[in-house]
Amino acid sequence: MASSRRPTRRQFLKRSAGLGAALTLPLAAPALSQGKPFQGQTLNVSCWNAPYPKLLQEYLPEFEALTGMKVNYDTPGFLIYNQRIDLELSTRGSAYDVLNITFIYVDRWIRSGWFHPLGEFVRKENSTPKDWDLDDFLPAARKIMSDRSGNLMGIPWTCDCYMAVAGRYDLMEKAGLKMPETFDDIETVAKAMHKDGIAGFVGDNRHGWNFPPYLQGFGGNVFRKAPDDLMPTLDTPEAVAAADFFSHLLRDYGPDGVLSYTYDQVTAALKQGRGNYSTEGHIFLMPAGDADSKVAKTVRYSAFPKGPAGHFPGFATHAWGIPVGAKNKRASWEFIKWAMSRQMMLRAVKEKGYSSPSRRSIIEDPEFKRRLTLNGSDVADIYLKAIEIAGGSDYMAYRIVNVFPQVDTLIGQAIERIVSKQMSASDSMKLAQRTAITDLRRAGVKL
Amino acid sequence: MSVRAVAVAAQDGEVPARHRNAYLLGLLPALVVLAAVTLAPALYLFVTSLTPASPTRPDSLFDFSDPLENYLSAWSDPRFGESVWIQVKLSVSTVVAQVLLGLGVALLLNRRSRLLTALRTVFLIPMVLPPIVAALIWKILYTPDVSPLHRALASSGMPVSSLITNPDTALWAIAVADTWQWFPFTMLIILAALQMVPREPIEAAQVDGASRFQILWHILLPAIRSSIVVAVLFRLIDSIKAFPLIYVLTSGGPGTATQVTNYYAFTQAFNYAYWGYASAIAVMLTAGVFVLSLAISRAADVRIDE
Repeated sequence: MASSRRPTRRQFLKRSAGLGAALTLPLAAPALSQGKPFQGQTLNVSCWNAPYPKLLQEYLPEFEALTGMKVNYDTPGFLIYNQRIDLELSTRGSAYDVLNITFIYVDRWIRSGWFHPLGEFVRKENSTPKDWDLDDFLPAARKIMSDRSGNLMGIPWTCDCYMAVAGRYDLMEKAGLKMPETFDDIETVAKAMHKDGIAGFVGDNRHGWNFPPYLQGFGGNVFRKAPDDLMPTLDTPEAVAAADFFSHLLRDYGPDGVLSYTYDQVTAALKQGRGNYSTEGHIFLMPAGDADSKVAKTVRYSAFPKGPAGHFPGFATHAWGIPVGAKNKRASWEFIKWAMSRQMMLRAVKEKGYSSPSRRSIIEDPEFKRRLTLNGSDVADIYLKAIEIAGGSDYMAYRIVNVFPQVDTLIGQAIERIVSKQMSASDSMKLAQRTAITDLRRAGVKL
Repeated sequence: MSVRAVAVAAQDGEVPARHRNAYLLGLLPALVVLAAVTLAPALYLFVTSLTPASPTRPDSLFDFSDPLENYLSAWSDPRFGESVWIQVKLSVSTVVAQVLLGLGVALLLNRRSRLLTALRTVFLIPMVLPPIVAALIWKILYTPDVSPLHRALASSGMPVSSLITNPDTALWAIAVADTWQWFPFTMLIILAALQMVPREPIEAAQVDGASRFQILWHILLPAIRSSIVVAVLFRLIDSIKAFPLIYVLTSGGPGTATQVTNYYAFTQAFNYAYWGYASAIAVMLTAGVFVLSLAISRAADVRIDE
């Protein structure tokens, strides 16, 4: 008889993990007491390879032991994930039970009705205990992950905000420089530090993400007034000035081959001290302060600098959602509830050093504050302020309209043309504008 | 009737109807599978190209109100025209380089020796690598921070800036990587053809005092011409499908400097969700390849017949 057999090593580990999880997670109790209603089910879960989903993977045996479910989990690259899932969602397929809702696809994926509203799970006590506390998730992120009627479609697992880093702040101090507060300061610092094998400015090739904070700082925007008026505004004098400035930073102070730099190359350049200053999503800047970083003792962080027209730090969020084709949505929710519980997120911060939580209580937790205070820079404070700025205004609206992916590509091409001296800023942005109008009309946008 | 008798009857054009039907019946499963696997997707592609299909607008999938719209748009789309021109440059340069290099190496290896047999295997390695792995190898080689190539050049006093971010060199950098990966294919075809060339005419030419070049030009090349044409056709068709190298190395950039037609169709389909437009581009690309292949094989046939 099976019960009389000695457990295998795998069974022993699973049971031990289950016991551990039950002891550490208050959420476990109701599930166990109900006798694992999802026992034997298989969940297919996918997200792009960001830090949180990757570290969550290490805790999956606990979830499997807790619920009796088996989880097939994959984390492909960002572009591959988006293309694969765009196709999967468009067919309303049932291959996945839980998927990431990618920030720039929010409108397209949610408005097309490809994700299931979460209200029926979140607000019902038999599905979700009250202390799970939906309101703890930052309102700016929840707002983005809701449809136009306010129905919540995804639970945000990250908030990524734009900030700035200087790896060799020691050299800047020697030169009498401080962390840049304005775009002019960026120019000064980049120019002064661009020597002795150190690039004065480093940026990755996602120009559709990196350029708009500069564009808005110069007083321009991507669209005339997203989401209601989607006429592109890429060739305005402000847009041309911003493109000229941003391309100049990359071309004249960037490392050789900067146009092919991916975000992990930027992180590596900062950690190795090959690049001094960068403005990026904080996820990719934080590793510069890691113990294995050559600049761990000299790195400083600051808010993204102000432009002539103001302060517009970029903001992004991604969320777990349930595709409409998922066969057992209650089981899907069980996974999301577990993955996004306060306890799990706090463990990710404490045990894995996760730096982009989406729950306010975690961001304000003393442990998180302590971990994110690096060489005197209070990164948690910079992080929260940037999210509040983004949440208090609609300047990020450009990013979640369903035709943004088109314009995103065109911005990237425009900046590359300027940096590689194929065209002037004015000509390149005019071409981007003309092409954007054609592409948006093809998408059915009335301009 | 025996099999032989049927074969004879078939040669005479006298296959009895019941046998013909039996053959057709036997072929039917294979034809059905073939149709399902190749013709049905191709037909679907063509049908989609007649609509403004986009997965974000379900009604667009069956909208045949303006069936030529995508084709007319493509002809007035400067990016499409530019991508075709980039495609032509890439295809011509890679096919020519691969055939010449393949021919050269095949001539060197066309001798009987253990060393050369081992070398043949070594030369085949790039060809059997998964394309994405080959692309990653070249990504490392072309990234100045980590590239042994760039470091070696810099330490010998000849520093070279990034080749894949320079619009003047990016396409040729891709062509070099593509040639590295695929010249073994042409080499293999040409080497096989060279080994089939009879020794007698070569020996007779040598007795008559012909130089190596004369033997190559007057005996070997005419003898292997049809194999070279096959190699050209294979590589030409494959070059038009070039994707992993461009995707990994340049993403079509800088700007659109390396955006070949295939990649342009990919961005239209998967970045922008314009399935109808991307399908129209794919249909035109397929038709172009078909016509080009037909023209090359016809031209080669004529010459061979001459």
